[in-house]
Amino acid sequence: MSDSQRIPPPRRALWRDLRHLLAYTVKRLLALLLTVLVSVYLTIVIANMGGRVDELRLVQIRSEAAEAVRADPAFLDMPGEERHALIERRVSLEVERLRLDQPFLLRSVDYLQRAMRLELGRAEQMHSDRGSREVYDIIVERLPATLLLFGSANLLVFFTSVFVALTLSRRYGSALDRGVIALAPTSAAPGWFYGIFLILVFAFVIPLLPAGGMVAAPPPEGRWEYAASVLRHMLLPLAAMFLSSIFVSIYSWRTFFLIHSSEDYVEMARAKGLPSHLIERRYILRPTLSPIVTSFLLMLIGLWSGAIILEQVFNWPGLGSLLFRAIGHRDTPVIIGAVVIFAYLLAATVFLLDILYALLDPRVRLEGGRR
Amino acid sequence: MSEPTLLRVADLALHYRTRRGVVRAVDGVGFDLRRNEALVVLGESGCGKSSLARALMRVLPRNVQHTGGRVMLGETEVTALPDERFRREVQWSRMALVMQASMNALNPVVRVGEQVAEPLRVLRGWSRRRALERAAEVFGLVGVSTDFLSRYPFELSGGMRQRAVLAMALVAEPELVILDEPTSALDVLTQAGIMNALKRIKREQGTSFILITHDVATSSELADRVALMYAGQFVEVADADAFFSRPAHPYSRMLMASVPRLRQRSRPEAIPGQPPNLFDPPSGCRFAARCPHRFARCAHDPEAIRLGERHRVRCWLHDESTRRGGA
Repeated sequence: MSDSQRIPPPRRALWRDLRHLLAYTVKRLLALLLTVLVSVYLTIVIANMGGRVDELRLVQIRSEAAEAVRADPAFLDMPGEERHALIERRVSLEVERLRLDQPFLLRSVDYLQRAMRLELGRAEQMHSDRGSREVYDIIVERLPATLLLFGSANLLVFFTSVFVALTLSRRYGSALDRGVIALAPTSAAPGWFYGIFLILVFAFVIPLLPAGGMVAAPPPEGRWEYAASVLRHMLLPLAAMFLSSIFVSIYSWRTFFLIHSSEDYVEMARAKGLPSHLIERRYILRPTLSPIVTSFLLMLIGLWSGAIILEQVFNWPGLGSLLFRAIGHRDTPVIIGAVVIFAYLLAATVFLLDILYALLDPRVRLEGGRR
Repeated sequence: MSEPTLLRVADLALHYRTRRGVVRAVDGVGFDLRRNEALVVLGESGCGKSSLARALMRVLPRNVQHTGGRVMLGETEVTALPDERFRREVQWSRMALVMQASMNALNPVVRVGEQVAEPLRVLRGWSRRRALERAAEVFGLVGVSTDFLSRYPFELSGGMRQRAVLAMALVAEPELVILDEPTSALDVLTQAGIMNALKRIKREQGTSFILITHDVATSSELADRVALMYAGQFVEVADADAFFSRPAHPYSRMLMASVPRLRQRSRPEAIPGQPPNLFDPPSGCRFAARCPHRFARCAHDPEAIRLGERHRVRCWLHDESTRRGGA
């Protein structure tokens, strides 16, 4: 009844909406920055075991210094006390360099500052395949392998399952639908489990494909030969991941589409005599784009962590096995580096999603901004 | 005075397949509707009213087991058309439907105007501009300010949304509009507003309406004809005046007695018993179990008996032989 009075003239409404949208954006940015800060700090504290790792490091420095002095022929005839003093001097030099004499709390804040600026520092023990000790180099060297394998697997699973799910939801209850749905429990086993079987069958029983690695050794010369070799090495892990997640993914998307294709406005669109492809596009996919985009983007950043066991099974030089090794070695800078990059990626994705929601859904754009 | 017949429905049937068996939601419904006439279909919940609308518009759920009967719209035998031709030639352009629960009948992420104009653009290939102009026109017709064309559904109140859906039904100038409980979720004032808009549209545009409702009082506003549905069948079809003043079927009489009236001492009377379930309708008259006038012949399925020119009732009480023998 009072609808016409409640709504201000369009131009003023637009300005107000823009202002609200801006305030909303700034608020979201600050909140996300705080989230990253907290998560990185927590990682620093945990990866250093609240400072306990320093004690281990101190012991290690001392033994290394003692070893170096003992092994050096120049100091062979040095008297015991002098030698002891020399070791102490070396230890205190190293302690000073690493600032281990300062309390952990102080240094953790310092770490935090550097981590937030993406100065990831040097690894304790690990190094990249090219010999660099920079955490950044170590991580970046592994990144392409992970992105290639997990990116293609997840994209394949995502688009296949959305497409198949849409088709099945159209034929709900048909033999095809029931058959595919009956296969959903196959996803109870993880990818590496299928991987073991696939390696057994296709690498040993019928030796068609390589059992592991990313490229033949020695690597082929030509660019195309190299790509073909990588592709051959990718097939089995790709198949393993695809098998382990495709059916449950289809199942959940199908249920999602079924729920949304019985909305009243979809029925209405059917009554309106719209062709079915238009109904699917405009009345089923369009209103549900926000959740679809969300799961797509979260899937994409999920690639970052790789998959530890699958990479081990296929001997794939990705981030998963790197992290596994870093945790094993207690190489805190590498662990922290990986988490920092992930935190930033996650925050950026969430921010992107916030903006996409506003663009995709007028209810978020207009109502959310007003709140 | 009498307009030509627009819609002829004979033996319309719609059966659903369910886990418990076949549900005969619409079971042999027949009626005529003239141009510029409004037929009100009354009935209790679950008697098959909405299924009737769905059967006419071919908006069928997945579990349809059987459809049957003949529907003529003007000179077109609608039931003989294949789905694709029905969609292109009849659906929405000649026959439109305002569905129940039309609160959510609008796509939440598309502007209202676009949705109202959509049938014209898709079915008739009109330009966006031309279709939106027509949408603005029907907005005027149903009493919604054209400012709302560029709004999203969530920015409209319930009554406004209902009017927008009505506008959507009228946009392609259909000969027949089927309204399935168009006002049952709204407050009384909004209901009255919409009923008045419908009356005006009927007068000015010459549209025919089938109004499906359980609200006897509100529907009497618009009705030229009344059909009373019970357990998937029309038990009585009559002119509104005849139906409201002299209902013939026992169920009609009891229904009229159950309508509450303001400031009146007599208590509205409920009809004892429950409608039969539609899985396994009883043989013979379906109302017999609740009927105070039940007699031997009710064990046989009553035919549609003519009482007047356009008055049919499915009850043996009105059969010539019964009346001769009984009275």
